[in-house]
Amino acid sequence: MIAEIQPLEDLESACRRHSWSLNAQELAAVRRHFKALRRAPTRAELESIAQTWSEHCKHKTFTGPIRFSDGKKTERIANLFDRTIAKATRELARPWCLSSFKDNAGVVAFGKKKGRWAVAFKVETHNHPCAIEPYGGAETGVGGVVRDVLGVGLGAKPVLNTDVFCFAAPDFDGPLPEGALHPKRTLRSVVAGVRDYGNRLGIPTAAGGLCFDPGYRLNPLVFVGTVGLLPTWALKKEVKAGDLIVAAGGRTGRDGLHGATFSSAGLSADSPASAVQIGHPLNEKKLLDALLAARDKRLYRAVTDCGAGGFSSAVGEMAEGRGARVRLENAKLKASDLKPWEIWLSESQERMVLAVPPKNLKALSEVFAAEDCELSVLGEFTSTGRLVVTHEGQAVVDLDLKFLHHGLPRVEKTAVWTAPKPQAVKVEQVKRSPAEILKFCLSHLNVCSREWIIRQYDHEVQAGTVIKPLQGVRHDGPGDACVIWPHAATGEMKDFSAFAVSHGLNPAYGRLDPYRMALACVDEALRNLICVGADVEHAVLLDNFCWASPDDPRQLGALVRAAQGCHDAAKGFGTPFISGKDSLYNQSKDANGKDAAIPGTLLISALAPVADARRALTMDIKGPGNALYLVGCTGEELGGSLLAQACDLPGGCAPKVDPKTAASAFKAVAAAIAKGLVLSAHDLSEGGLAVAAAEMSFSGEFGAAIDLDMVAKAGPIYSNEVLLFCESQSRLLLEVKPEKEAALLKALKGVVVKRVGVTMANPILKVIGLDGLVCLEEPLCALKAAWQGTLPRLLS
Amino acid sequence: MSVKTAAWTIEVKLKADLADAEGQSALSLLQGLGVLTTRACRATRLYELRCGLNAAQLQQVARELLCDPITQDFRVVPGGARPPVLNGMTHWRVEVWPKGSVADPAGETVRSAIAEMGLPQPERVRVGTAYLISGRCGRGQLEKAVVRGLANPVVHDAAVTESHP
Repeated sequence: MIAEIQPLEDLESACRRHSWSLNAQELAAVRRHFKALRRAPTRAELESIAQTWSEHCKHKTFTGPIRFSDGKKTERIANLFDRTIAKATRELARPWCLSSFKDNAGVVAFGKKKGRWAVAFKVETHNHPCAIEPYGGAETGVGGVVRDVLGVGLGAKPVLNTDVFCFAAPDFDGPLPEGALHPKRTLRSVVAGVRDYGNRLGIPTAAGGLCFDPGYRLNPLVFVGTVGLLPTWALKKEVKAGDLIVAAGGRTGRDGLHGATFSSAGLSADSPASAVQIGHPLNEKKLLDALLAARDKRLYRAVTDCGAGGFSSAVGEMAEGRGARVRLENAKLKASDLKPWEIWLSESQERMVLAVPPKNLKALSEVFAAEDCELSVLGEFTSTGRLVVTHEGQAVVDLDLKFLHHGLPRVEKTAVWTAPKPQAVKVEQVKRSPAEILKFCLSHLNVCSREWIIRQYDHEVQAGTVIKPLQGVRHDGPGDACVIWPHAATGEMKDFSAFAVSHGLNPAYGRLDPYRMALACVDEALRNLICVGADVEHAVLLDNFCWASPDDPRQLGALVRAAQGCHDAAKGFGTPFISGKDSLYNQSKDANGKDAAIPGTLLISALAPVADARRALTMDIKGPGNALYLVGCTGEELGGSLLAQACDLPGGCAPKVDPKTAASAFKAVAAAIAKGLVLSAHDLSEGGLAVAAAEMSFSGEFGAAIDLDMVAKAGPIYSNEVLLFCESQSRLLLEVKPEKEAALLKALKGVVVKRVGVTMANPILKVIGLDGLVCLEEPLCALKAAWQGTLPRLLS
Repeated sequence: MSVKTAAWTIEVKLKADLADAEGQSALSLLQGLGVLTTRACRATRLYELRCGLNAAQLQQVARELLCDPITQDFRVVPGGARPPVLNGMTHWRVEVWPKGSVADPAGETVRSAIAEMGLPQPERVRVGTAYLISGRCGRGQLEKAVVRGLANPVVHDAAVTESHP
């Protein structure tokens, strides 16, 4: 007998009432399916379908058909993801990419001993929960991405957490709608959540970023990532009929219902509070330790995490192509009054589902009991092709898995892109002095020191953080990327193989051109890797798109452009994507009841091996009398730049990237660094040459003198300010010992590189302008004070 | 024989002569939210136990598990008992508790830890925070600031009472 019959005619209203986020075509498909079966669906079946078909789980926009109009040209894109990001990975076919877009995380080969270790990397978003309850949302975001990595292959040991946040400024004073949290409150709570969860799990949080824009006032973005190590034998997972479905970890409660469907719709005042979960890091730690111990004894055949959709998603995914029978009364519960559909759908945290051969159950129970971690046998995998769920003998779900996973109707969406008209920036309108602009840039929220946040995280636990998030002689300067030597996971103390992780994100460029933004983000992420001595030729990328409603053709048009940019960047740099995620519908009603959308945001995360952790590089100037070399050309590219903000210069184009030229330059610089020809390296991003030189100088406590006439120019440039602050991409500033200059120039043959200055003992930053006169001379202490003061002033 | 359960609250706070960063942070938040007349704030951790423990056992839990005797003081208060009220609106007690429907991992951990001490496991433990605030301000003004700065109404219950410091 099927319990909890739901009349079909009520589907639309039930969909609204229960926040299922299914559209009319999807509801019609459900209606047709059950009409053919001559019965009504149960609440649990509808909930399962809604979770499985949600944007969060099925990525309907990225994998569905799109009619894309770009000016006069219109094309039909059958599957945006497959035609852009996945296509680049497929075509590049890098042998070191062991798993791309298949499992819970991307996996690449790692270490000197070929075929022994692999690195898994995943970055997730937890935006919607953080908008409602930032502390719990951030905690469970970290917990979720850690479990993603635990669920890759047969489980990877987490060795690094990363976090990137996008908020409105902490001193935002505009109107907010009823119930919306102030950005300052959100920031403090999100940082506390990441801190409390990550620190208690014993995983270093050592990489990340921060971006402020008023567009995030109602929808903050919280990206959390985890890198894990696993032996390559543990990459393969398979589920066999007869395997037991075992739930491990925390108990199931009413918390976190409807998380997947909730995150597939815009936020409103009546967004369900039940979607919020509170994390329990100690339970996750016990689960992590027990699972890895069981993995090493090879006691289970497959594992996945219970994320959005709870058991319904985890069991449904694992049973795809096979079948499953679940008896919900076996689940361990927090409260005895849970309805069957609530047990099936609950997103209670810290749970994993395993496929266990029956003969291994006793041994598995002993391993988990030793860690004080609970197990329950929910049922078994079958070969019937059906998902059958019962509770105390009553049928709760009886679904054809083919319908569940492939029955989603594909609805064509319309995307429109209109290229912005090129608009020149009037450089002559720059009225502020270079010193004023430099201090504006250094104290800008998107450049300033993040020490207030970084110091709250434990970035040293596991004792493998070789290049730390704060660098320089006083350990308080900025860092381009972190380098992790994961000996705690491998146990190999004589193999100094390490990896570096960095990020690239710039929504200001996206406002002008999402295509160029994507290229610039990839470029920045790779530049950051080079600066710590990573091998960028073996780098891999992750994409995280956060966008507003794809039902708006212009928003979707911009998203398509960004995805095309990712494809071209991956192909041009020869760097494949291995994993990614999209979070759409990041928009809310503002105080006036109008839809406020976030700026289209793309986070690129990059990971690359570092052959020898002992040779990794930091960005601070190491001594006086060394030469400063600038790699790359400087053009008059001011669109979206801090100079444009500082001087209120409208218009301009986002900086252009030529991936092929940049890739060959990056390769040569990485090789020069590997040969020990470079003392320090720093990338030029927001604030351009002036900010990069200032950061290197005050971190190393050595001065620098720069001659702007020596800068390689992409065209005629007559403004000191443009040369100092423009944000042309693919540029790096290198510090080189005088005796190694010749070798460096030989190594960089064919690359645009110019000797633009020298380092000095006098702690000042001095810049000689195009007219031969000093256009900027500032003491480093003043520059550092400007850089360090912003967040403490706004948050303490 | 069934054990009779009762509600108790164990309050743990930093010794008065030590700087209280959590209280200071709460104070600056409140002042940032416009309650400029608040002068001082001390934070107290609250453990609400529904249990069958006797007075000696509660003292043991507080002393050995919940309180660091070097830096903290504690007191055990019977459930329902509230500090005496003083008129004058110069001392406020703000209690922030996780809602009943929200998971309380800290409470669950304390509950397990009590059992690991060899004592009867409590039926339930909830962990909250009390902020003892000095300064002349209106209740409405404080309540508004509390839900904007110290508690999130989605997951917390917050109560503001006039109280003895």
